[in-house]
Amino acid sequence: MLAVKLLIREIRNGDVLTLLFALILSVSTVTGIDLFVDRLQTSFTIQSATLLAADRVVRSNTAITNERMEYAKEQGLETAQKTSFSSMVFSNEGLQLSQLSAVTGNYPLRGSYLVDDDLFGAGYSVEDGPSEGDIWVSSRLASLLGVGIGDAVQVGETDLTIRHYLVRDPGSTGSAFAIAPRAVINQDDLLKTQVIQPGSRVRYSLLLAGNEDALNQYEAWITPNLEKGERWRTPKSGGQGINSAIERAESFLLLAGTLAVVMSGVAMALASSRYVRRHLTQVAVIKTLGATPKKIAQLLLSQLAIIFLVGTGLGLLLGWLIQEVIALSLASLLSTVLPAASISNLWLGMVTGLMSLFAFCLPLLMRLFDVSPLTVLHPAGKVQLKSLQLYIIALTGMYLLMVVYTGGLLLPSIMIAAIFMVAVAIGIIGYGLFKLGRVLTSGAVSGWQIGLASLHRRLMGNLFQLLVFTLIIMLGLILIGVKSSLISDWQRQLPVDAPNHYLFNVQEGEVKQISDIADNLQIPVSEWYPMVRGRVVQINGQDADLLYTSDDKEPELLSREMNLTWSNELAEDNVLLEGEFGGNVNGLSIEEEVAKEIGLKIGDTLGVKIGGLDYQLPITSIRSVDWSSMRPNFYLILPQSILSDFPANYVSSVFIDKDNVQSFYKKMADFPTVSMLNVGDLIQQIQLIIAQVSQAIQLVLFFILSSAVLVLNASVRASLDERLEEGALLRTLGASKTLIRQSMLVEFGFLGFSAGVIGALAAELSLFGLQVFVFELAPSFHPLMWFLGPMTGFVVVSIIGLYAGKSVLTVPPMRMLRSL
Amino acid sequence: MKTNLAIKTQNLTHTVKTAADDLTILNDISMSIEEGESVAIVGASGSGKSTLLGLIAGLDVCSDGDVLLYGHNLSKLDEEKRADLRGQYVGFVFQSFHLLPSLTALENVMLPGELKGDKDAKRKATEFLEQVGLEHRLQHYPRQLSGGEQQRVAVARAFASSPKVLFADEPTGNLDSENGKMVTDLLFGLNEKQGTTLVLVTHDASLAQRCSRQIMMSSGKIIESLGKE
Ligand SMILES: Nc1ncnc2c1ncn2[C@@H]1O[C@H](COP(=O)(O)OP(=O)(O)OP(=O)(O)O)[C@@H](O)[C@H]1O
Ligand SMILES: [Mg+2]
Repeated sequence: MLAVKLLIREIRNGDVLTLLFALILSVSTVTGIDLFVDRLQTSFTIQSATLLAADRVVRSNTAITNERMEYAKEQGLETAQKTSFSSMVFSNEGLQLSQLSAVTGNYPLRGSYLVDDDLFGAGYSVEDGPSEGDIWVSSRLASLLGVGIGDAVQVGETDLTIRHYLVRDPGSTGSAFAIAPRAVINQDDLLKTQVIQPGSRVRYSLLLAGNEDALNQYEAWITPNLEKGERWRTPKSGGQGINSAIERAESFLLLAGTLAVVMSGVAMALASSRYVRRHLTQVAVIKTLGATPKKIAQLLLSQLAIIFLVGTGLGLLLGWLIQEVIALSLASLLSTVLPAASISNLWLGMVTGLMSLFAFCLPLLMRLFDVSPLTVLHPAGKVQLKSLQLYIIALTGMYLLMVVYTGGLLLPSIMIAAIFMVAVAIGIIGYGLFKLGRVLTSGAVSGWQIGLASLHRRLMGNLFQLLVFTLIIMLGLILIGVKSSLISDWQRQLPVDAPNHYLFNVQEGEVKQISDIADNLQIPVSEWYPMVRGRVVQINGQDADLLYTSDDKEPELLSREMNLTWSNELAEDNVLLEGEFGGNVNGLSIEEEVAKEIGLKIGDTLGVKIGGLDYQLPITSIRSVDWSSMRPNFYLILPQSILSDFPANYVSSVFIDKDNVQSFYKKMADFPTVSMLNVGDLIQQIQLIIAQVSQAIQLVLFFILSSAVLVLNASVRASLDERLEEGALLRTLGASKTLIRQSMLVEFGFLGFSAGVIGALAAELSLFGLQVFVFELAPSFHPLMWFLGPMTGFVVVSIIGLYAGKSVLTVPPMRMLRSL
Repeated sequence: MKTNLAIKTQNLTHTVKTAADDLTILNDISMSIEEGESVAIVGASGSGKSTLLGLIAGLDVCSDGDVLLYGHNLSKLDEEKRADLRGQYVGFVFQSFHLLPSLTALENVMLPGELKGDKDAKRKATEFLEQVGLEHRLQHYPRQLSGGEQQRVAVARAFASSPKVLFADEPTGNLDSENGKMVTDLLFGLNEKQGTTLVLVTHDASLAQRCSRQIMMSSGKIIESLGKE
């Protein structure tokens, strides 16, 4: 086949290779990042599932119906059950109200129990729950009861033997307030205990695990018919802190991928225009040899198809290797192994390859079909390569690719707006320079006018190059900016000494004693909040029961008893959004999200039932709350004047480091009614994920910046033909190497520096948009970028320019001229 | 002497649009060239020689009038058909050689044959390169050849398609007199041996002298047509 033959001959020439490399770069960057993001996501899902102890959970206030279990079996899902309830646990020495769960032998389906054989030990993991006749109790319960391993305790009507100390129950970390010390028994012992009587408060969970299709099928089936008191839980509905960290990381990686798309688009367009420019005359010559337009089209298109196949194939392979390398280095950094990449995700790389060809290559290449054979006699008949139409096609292609890639419009729109801004800015600067040139040289001798004409021609080339440099620098700066603000935000959110235990059910008289114990051990205690339970029963005078009759739609605020508190000062992790807050305000303060759910505004009244009494209170403020701060937080804050009439429990959170855990736990045994909830595991999990994500985005950043340098390099080289010609001519005219080197340094240095300045400006503006709209972070100013942009622009572009232009300086001018 | 007409133009006029106004490059040209003739088009720079050559060779269509190439009216054909005719009837040699830089000398000469799907292209190309005295440079790229050598490759390529008419736009314009003479000899030798019609544009008086006819142009018109005899 002639096309193949010609293509192989072309490869020796290098132009085809440039095009091929650009394609490989596009496909491999996009594929690499996409595969890697997918692996991270799967890894997050698995980790979240660990917290849920399953892939999905049906939670219910009544026993799980057979129908629910049958359908799960039909879908081929693995099931386990857990029943949670509170009950007295008796030992020879005492009794203690405890939080118990009874689990089937295969619980948990995901993750594992952490148990230990020493009191307050750190724990080791076991796959399955307790066997029949066994009970695992938390160290706290054991010390309260004065029992140890091997001892018998009594739960309801049955005796059970303590087998382990329970350190972590995988499915429980997400629940906000546990009521008492914990224990876990086998589901088969549940009946024998006879503790569950009609009217007992019991929570039933049906745990599901299996493949994603079956799970989705199940979800589609159950969500429309959730009964009263039933809830459908997914890993996403788990811990708040983890979700926002993961979502932001996903957005970041998506952004990174989007920038990779833009960058590879630029690379493709550069390579294509170089290819086309160098082939205009060649195609004209082939036309004079009798090649019909059809033949030309057939030749070029089949060559393009081959380039697509080879480039995409190699790109996919390289992309796969790259993400594998990133994943491996991540594994060695964090000792976590990511789940394998899924081959089915390679389609995105193929789409990228195809779209790149259609948007960045084909429109340019089609100009070759139209080349008049007359070009061989009259170079004037050359085709105009840079037309508005081509830019529009390329930008549209880029936009579509970003939309396909992100599955949304926001990010692509911000990016396109940024690119457009940069183009306009550079257009204005270029126009200004051009005008300036005209003014300075008008009326000059004709030699100047000729010079001006060529300057104008060069000006357009230089402006285009400035645009490319600026875009790449801007993209790099944006990524660096987002990365650092994400990471610092995470560190701010969850400092190493974030509280890891909640204390609650503390009586007023005990507050001082516990604070003293904590002080002695130098354990920081957050503020103590008084807590009174109450329920919202009316909204603006209307009964809440009548407002929301269908149960699954019942808003959070109305669904259960709330913990109410009073406070004269806003907690440091709360932000007052609207209204007034403070001791003298006689109304209630509500959390933003729950208010939004019902559409409550300042001035609406809520009827709150506390201890059998009804109060009508206006909403006087709306707060946002940082749920991931691990401090006690409340949906509703009421005036002290109302709550102080009721008996209150106090709640607080403390950070206990490893060394103090045992002593603090032992001291707390003196306060049997006080409950402690250890959220240390949850925090550790979040911190691990954040560390993982931070490392991942550093690596991806490094990867993208390296390909940015490659594209910069390609763009410098694209302009080299012209410069080579000039350089060779200058040298034949006797210019010294130093002179040429200096002039190149000035030219590239100026271009790089200006690109850095404009890029920093554009990046600052885009970052503002990204922080506010995409990452939901507070916008910030980035002084570092204003230094980094121009500096790297100057240094990198000059180095690449000088290096790439080395041939101008070393090759004998004679050879240079001949090869042109 | 054969009397078959190779080329005939009737009231050929060519106008191009420029930014300012329409520019008439060729004005009402009627002439004919017989098969086997060798014709030199001469005239001042900018008089329209290259444009005329391009039009009668079917590289473009004139804006008015007719051009007949072996009886085919080029104005009535689309680029597809004209390209076919070029492949069948026409060969070119250019002032700046226009060899494809990514192809070796041999591959350049093979190209016309390959485009037609000629299985024998390689053997024929080798023969033509032997005829121009470059049998030892088959695998060399254009950048490794001197201007004269490149032009000889171009001549070989032109003859490789066995054209009935060979068009040359200042074939010796970039060559010294010695290389120029070598290329001219080749052109006329092959013209005689294969009976090819030769149409060339030149500023070189001695080259023009060797042609059987000279067409003198000025400002887009033929002002004189001199036969040798
Ligand atoms: N596409 C075009 N647009 C504008 N002007 C053109 C175009 N093609 C040719 N011309 C003009 O037509 C005139 C004739 O051009 P042509 O190349 O035919 O001259 P020529 O006789 O071959 O000159 P030379 O001996 O210098 O090669 C020139 O003035 C040229 O500038
Ligand atoms: Mg000419």
